[in-house]
Amino acid sequence: MKDYEVVIGLETHIQLNTQTKIFCSCKADSWEAEPNTNICPVCSGMPGVLPVLNREAVRKGALLAAAMHAEVNPVSHFDRKNYFYPDLPKGYQITQFDEPIGKGGYFDLHMPDGVTRRVRIHKLHLEEDAGKTKLDHGLRLVDFNRCGVPLVEMVTEPDLRSGEEAAQYLTQLRQLLRWIGVSEADMERGHLRCDANVSIRERGSQVLNTKTEIKNVNSIDAVRQAIIEETKRQIELVESGGKVVSYTLDWDADTGKLSMMRSKETEADYRYFREPDLLPVVLTEEQIASIKAELPELPLARKARFEADYGLSVYDAEILTSERGLSDYFEAAVASFGGEAKTVSNWMMNDLSRLMNDLGKSASELVLTPALLAQIIRMVEEGKINAATGKSLLRKVEDSGRAPAEIVEAEGLAVIADSDALRAQIQAVLAASPAEVESFRAGKESLLGWFVGQVMRATGGKADPKRTREILNELLNK
Amino acid sequence: MSISKISPELFHKLVGLAALELISAEGAYLLTEMNHQLSSVNALLQVPLEDDIQPTLHGIECQGAGPRTDVWQPFPTPSEILAGAPETEDGMFAVPDVKGAK
Amino acid sequence: MSLNQLSASEVSSRVRAGEFSAREMLEASLAQIRAVDGVPGSLDQKPLDPAEEQKVHAFIRLTEDLARSQADEVDRKIAAGEDPGALAGVPVSIKDIFTLQGIETTAASRILWNFKPPYTATPVQRLIDAGALILGKANLDEFTFGSSSESSAFKPAPNNPWDPSRVPGGSSGGSTASVAAEEVALSLGTDTGGSIRQPAAFCGVVGFKPTYGRVSRYGLMAFSSSLDCPGPIARNVSDAALMLQVIAGNDPKDSTSSVLQTSNYLNALKEGVKGLRVGLSPDYAHLFYPDFETGELAMESIQKEISDAVQHAASVLSDLGAEIVENVPLPNAKYSIPTYFVISRVEAASNLHRFDGVKYGYRTPVDVEDLQDLIRRTRAEGFGSEVKLRILMGMYLSSEGYAANYYQRALKVRAMIRRDFERAFDPHGEHRLDVVLTPTTATTSFKRNDVFGNTVRMQYSDQMTVSANHAGLPAVSIPGGLDADNLPIGIQFIGPDFREDLILRAGYAFEQATQGEAWRAVRPAVLRQEVTK
Repeated sequence: MKDYEVVIGLETHIQLNTQTKIFCSCKADSWEAEPNTNICPVCSGMPGVLPVLNREAVRKGALLAAAMHAEVNPVSHFDRKNYFYPDLPKGYQITQFDEPIGKGGYFDLHMPDGVTRRVRIHKLHLEEDAGKTKLDHGLRLVDFNRCGVPLVEMVTEPDLRSGEEAAQYLTQLRQLLRWIGVSEADMERGHLRCDANVSIRERGSQVLNTKTEIKNVNSIDAVRQAIIEETKRQIELVESGGKVVSYTLDWDADTGKLSMMRSKETEADYRYFREPDLLPVVLTEEQIASIKAELPELPLARKARFEADYGLSVYDAEILTSERGLSDYFEAAVASFGGEAKTVSNWMMNDLSRLMNDLGKSASELVLTPALLAQIIRMVEEGKINAATGKSLLRKVEDSGRAPAEIVEAEGLAVIADSDALRAQIQAVLAASPAEVESFRAGKESLLGWFVGQVMRATGGKADPKRTREILNELLNK
Repeated sequence: MSISKISPELFHKLVGLAALELISAEGAYLLTEMNHQLSSVNALLQVPLEDDIQPTLHGIECQGAGPRTDVWQPFPTPSEILAGAPETEDGMFAVPDVKGAK
Repeated sequence: MSLNQLSASEVSSRVRAGEFSAREMLEASLAQIRAVDGVPGSLDQKPLDPAEEQKVHAFIRLTEDLARSQADEVDRKIAAGEDPGALAGVPVSIKDIFTLQGIETTAASRILWNFKPPYTATPVQRLIDAGALILGKANLDEFTFGSSSESSAFKPAPNNPWDPSRVPGGSSGGSTASVAAEEVALSLGTDTGGSIRQPAAFCGVVGFKPTYGRVSRYGLMAFSSSLDCPGPIARNVSDAALMLQVIAGNDPKDSTSSVLQTSNYLNALKEGVKGLRVGLSPDYAHLFYPDFETGELAMESIQKEISDAVQHAASVLSDLGAEIVENVPLPNAKYSIPTYFVISRVEAASNLHRFDGVKYGYRTPVDVEDLQDLIRRTRAEGFGSEVKLRILMGMYLSSEGYAANYYQRALKVRAMIRRDFERAFDPHGEHRLDVVLTPTTATTSFKRNDVFGNTVRMQYSDQMTVSANHAGLPAVSIPGGLDADNLPIGIQFIGPDFREDLILRAGYAFEQATQGEAWRAVRPAVLRQEVTK
C-alpha cells in the first residue's frame, strides 16, 4: 500500500454576536424564541423591502480579518447568490463573492506536541444566514427567525493534514472568536459551523486531487471522526482501483457514517452579480487602523508572555489563557497581589477553579474580584490566616460580597498570633497526650504531624502551622 | 455577421433554472421572442468599449446614509407576515418536502 | 369647472382655505371615476360590452373607505386649526406596485392576487402624511414589465382617455390614464426605462422621473433595482413639482436613497429660462432598430409631428431667452435598449425569485409531488408571458459562460451612456448644457393589440427615455402638442444629477408660454363625451 497523505481545507461559518441581523433590525440571537416571531418584511423576503447594512457586522468582520492577519479590504462589495430553497426567502442570498472584506492571512495552531502549524486563510467574507427548516409528517416547515443573522465565512487553504489538526483548528478558532468578542462560537447552537473538503494524494506529491465535501458536522469530535472516516474511504477506494468522485457527503453523528448527498458536478449556477440595493462597504484608513488597534493581545501571544514574564509552566499558561476573562483576571490578581505570579496561578488553577465550576461562573462573573483574591492570598502568605481558612474564604467572599478582612474579623478566623496563647494551647495538648510525648521523645519523630493536627483541632484551625511546629519542637525537645 | 441564438436545449435548461414550467405553445413563443431580443443585445457585443471605461452599477455615484447602528427594533406585527402565508403549521410556513432531501 | 378638473395645487390651497371640504373633493373624484372608469381590472376576465370598451379602466381597486377616513382626517385638522399638509384633500392614485398596508397590492399579477402587505411604501406614506386622499390602486403592466399596460393580468387593461381604442402606454398606464381622465389630480408611478414618461406622453400629462435615489424605493416591488425610480404624474408642471417636494428626500430604509438635501422645487419654477443652455441631439432624432437576422441596427425615422413638436419647443424656449445648442453628440444612445435588455432582465429575474408560493400570494391549487413542483407550477400559473420572458432572458444573460459577455459588458456600455451626458453637461466642456431636449417617444399611442406580443418593438418605445435611467439622471415628459389624430405628443427634458429644478424650470416655461396654443383646448375623448353624473 502506498503512503498517502490527506489534504484538508475547512470552510467555517461564524455567527457574529451583534445585537441585530445583518440587513435588518431584528435580533441576531433568537435561540429561545418561538418560530417566526423574530422576523420582519426584510428578513422574510417580502416584496418591496430593501436591505440596510449593520455597521457592527462590518466592524466585527474586519476585526476578525485583522485577527487572522488578513488584508482588510478598504472597499468590499455585496453580491447576490441566486438559487431556490425554502429557507432562503428572497430566492437569493446576499453574500460577498469576488471582493470580500478580508483576503489572505493565516492562523497559527499550537499543537499538543509543541509544534506550531500555520494554516493559511484564503478569504473571509460577510453574508446573511438562511432560516431553519424541519421535516414534519412529509411537510417541510420553515422558520425565518435565524434568517439574516450576520455570518463570516472563512475559507482556509488546503493546509491541514489530519482530522486531529482540523479539530485543533476549530478548538483554537473557537477560543479566538470568544477572545476577541465577535462570536459566542458555540457549535451546539450553530454559532460555528464547519464543512470539510477532503482529498488524498501520495506523500510527497504537490498535486491537489479531486475532493469531497463533508457537511453537517456539528461538533469538533464529529469533524475529527468524519475526516478520519473519509480519509479511510478514499484510500480504500483508490487502492482498489477506483477514482474519487466529487461528492457532497453528509455526516450522521448517530451512526458515525458518511452518506452521499449529491454530486458536485451538477452544481447550481448561482448567477452572481453585484447587489444593486446596497452600496460598497467602505472602510477608511483611519477606520481600519482603529479596528486593528482594538485587537487585544491574542491567546498565543499572551500565553508566551505569561510563560516569559511570569515564569509560568506551559501547562499553566495554557489553562490561564484558555479564556480571555480568566487571563485578564489572572493578570489583575497578580498586579494586585504584588508578589510571586506562581502563587496566584496555583490558587487560580486549584481552589478558584473549583469554586467557578461549583457555581458555574466564569472569571468575569465572579463577585470575588482579582483584588479580593489577592487580599486573601496576601493574608495567607503573611501568616494572618492559615491556608485552609484562606480556601474557605473564597466561597465566603463570593457569597457575601464582603471584604475578606471583614469576614476574618467578624468570624474570628485569624491565626492565633499571640505566642503565649498558642503556647498555652500547645502545652494543653501535650499535657493531654503523655503517651505520645513519650513515644516522640523515644524517637518517633513522625508524631510531630499528629501533634500539629491535635493543636489544629483544639484551636478550631486557627493555629499557625509553622509557629505551632516551632513551639512543639521547642517543648518536645526540652 | 451571425448572432448567437438560444437553442431549444438551452431554453429547456433555462426554464428549469428559472423554476418555471411551460406548455409548448407558450415555450415556442418565448423562445422566438428571446432570440429576437438577442438580435438587439448583439449590438452590445459589437460596440467598441472606450479604453478606461469601468462598469457602473447605478449610473450616478450614490451617496447613501451608510450602514446603520446595531440597535434592535422589532417589527411590530410579525404575525401579520405569517398570516399571509398560503399554508402554515405550528407557526411555521408549510410546504411539501424537497425532492430527494434527506 | 368641477372640482375634479382642478389642479392639485388649487385643490390643496382651496381646501386649506376652507372653500370646500376634503370630503366634497373626494365625492367629486369618485363621481368622475364612476362616470368614466368603468369596471376595475380583475382576474376573471368577462367579455366587455361596447360601452365598457370606451371606458378608461385605470384602476385595479378603489380604496373608497380609506380615502373617506383620510378626507375626514384632513377636514378635522382644518377645523382644529392644525396643518393638514401640502397635499390636503388632493385625490391621488397609486400604481399597484407600491405596498399599502392591509390593502391588496397585486403588481397586476395573479401571483400576488391576494397579497396584503404589512407595511406601506415610503413615498405612499409621505403622500398620506401630506394629506392626500388615496382613491385607489392604478393598473399597470404586470410587475411593470411593458410599455402599454396590456400585459396586466387584471383585465380590462387601461385604455387611453384620448382614444379608448388605444393604449395609455406603460407600465404606469393606469396612473397616467387616471390623471388624464381627471379622475385624480396626481398619481405615483415608477420609471425604470421610461415607464412614467412614455405613458405620460401618450396620455398628454406630465410624467416626472427624479434622479435615481432622490425618492425612496422602499415599498416599491422591484423590477430592476439599479434603474427603478418612483415619480410624480400630474396635469401640469407645478403639480409635479409640488408632489416631488412631498415624496423626495432620504429614507434610512433604502440604502441607495440619497442624503443630498432636496431643494425647493416650487421656487425653482419661476426662475425662467433666460440664458439656460438647452441641447438638441441628432442621436435622438431617430430610432435604431435591430434586424432580427443580422443584428444590425438600422435607422428608423420618428413620427414627423413629434420632431416638429420638439423643434417648436426649442423655438419657444429660444424666444424666452434660452440658448439652443444644436448637434450635441450623445452617440451611445443607440445602445440604450440593448443595454437595458441585459441589465433590467438580469435584475428582474433575481428580484422575482422570491415569488414561489411559500410565504405569501398565490400557490397552485394542483396536487404536487414535492416542493420543486410546487414552485414551478405556482410560477407557471401565477406569472404571465411577459414576466416569464423577462425571467428567462435574465437567467440566460447572467448565467455562467454568458455573464461576462453580456452582463459585465452592459455595465460598461451603461457607463459610456452616462459619460455622454457628463460630457454634455460638463460646465468646462464643449456644450456646457443645462438641459437636453428630446422627443419622449418615437410615435404617439398605438392601437390595442397592435404591438403587444412583439416584445422587441414594444421595448423600443422606450428608446428615447431609457438613457436617463441608465445615467441615473432626472427627466420629465411634458405635453408638447397633438398629432393629426388628436393624440398627445410628449417632449422630454433631461437634466444633470439632482438638478430636478432645471428641468422643471424648462418645462414650466414652455408650458406657460404655450397656454394659448390651439391644441391645449382639445380635451381627451372620454372627457368630451356627455356624461351623466
